[in-house]
Amino acid sequence: MDRTSGGSIAAVRIKLALTKPALQAAAARLWQLPGLAQRYPAYLCAMHGVIRASVPLMELAARRCADRAADDPVAGPLRQYLLRHIEQERGHDDWLLADLATLGCDLPRRVAAQPSPTVARLAGAQYYWIEHYHPVALMGYIAVLEGNAPTPELGDWIVRTAGVPEGAVRTAREHAELDTRHAEAAFHLLEALPLTAAQTNAVTISGLHTAETLIRLFADVVRAT
Amino acid sequence: MTGPSHTLADLEAHGFPVGALTGEQREVLLGLTTEELALLIDVKARLDEVGPEVQAHSEVAGAALF
Repeated sequence: MDRTSGGSIAAVRIKLALTKPALQAAAARLWQLPGLAQRYPAYLCAMHGVIRASVPLMELAARRCADRAADDPVAGPLRQYLLRHIEQERGHDDWLLADLATLGCDLPRRVAAQPSPTVARLAGAQYYWIEHYHPVALMGYIAVLEGNAPTPELGDWIVRTAGVPEGAVRTAREHAELDTRHAEAAFHLLEALPLTAAQTNAVTISGLHTAETLIRLFADVVRAT
Repeated sequence: MTGPSHTLADLEAHGFPVGALTGEQREVLLGLTTEELALLIDVKARLDEVGPEVQAHSEVAGAALF
């Protein structure tokens, strides 16, 4: 079976980079249009639906890797990466809930609310691909989300423009610090994995789907506020 | 999965800035599968929908959380 060279992962990077202008435009509207004070809590609520799935998705993918370990050379190293990354990401949804609490959000109501169809489309596709295709598809999702994390300056912008307290921007600040490194780690793993062409394609499709749906989610937040 | 079935002219017709891309980027674009191209066209359509109302900013940017 043909296994990917590093050159194929370079192609994945190029394909995913083609989504950057649209992702940047969607984020620009989110942060720069008037009304950020109203929009910021809505953004956090939408992203809570996403981020609450991060560790569970990796846990599911790690279990499916364990199932495949005997005859799949990708499964072992992918599982080791996922187990490490689970510990790096654990509790980040609690940061986001703390940000919302600082804004006076009714947390029990928020946690109980049904996430939107767009959130389900974004994270739900990953559950499907992990369960019914291959857990490596999750790497496209991780690469796009961690590769488009808040910039270091964003926290200050939100505090200044939305007039929210410093305690309401911890999630943005922490992810600005962590996710640039995490995105590179995701690509380093992909370069090291003995992926088949079909598995490389799964990562790309997952990443492109993630980008398209994330843009849709940001537009939903802008439209609703 | 289906294989590539498009040309640079097809991509240009969909609004991809083919002329501004490097040779490596063009080569990758020519190798896009049908599904990859369809997703990229969807992404491009979303960019076109929003128009130039707000300019992307290099410092106030990024909104994805994992």
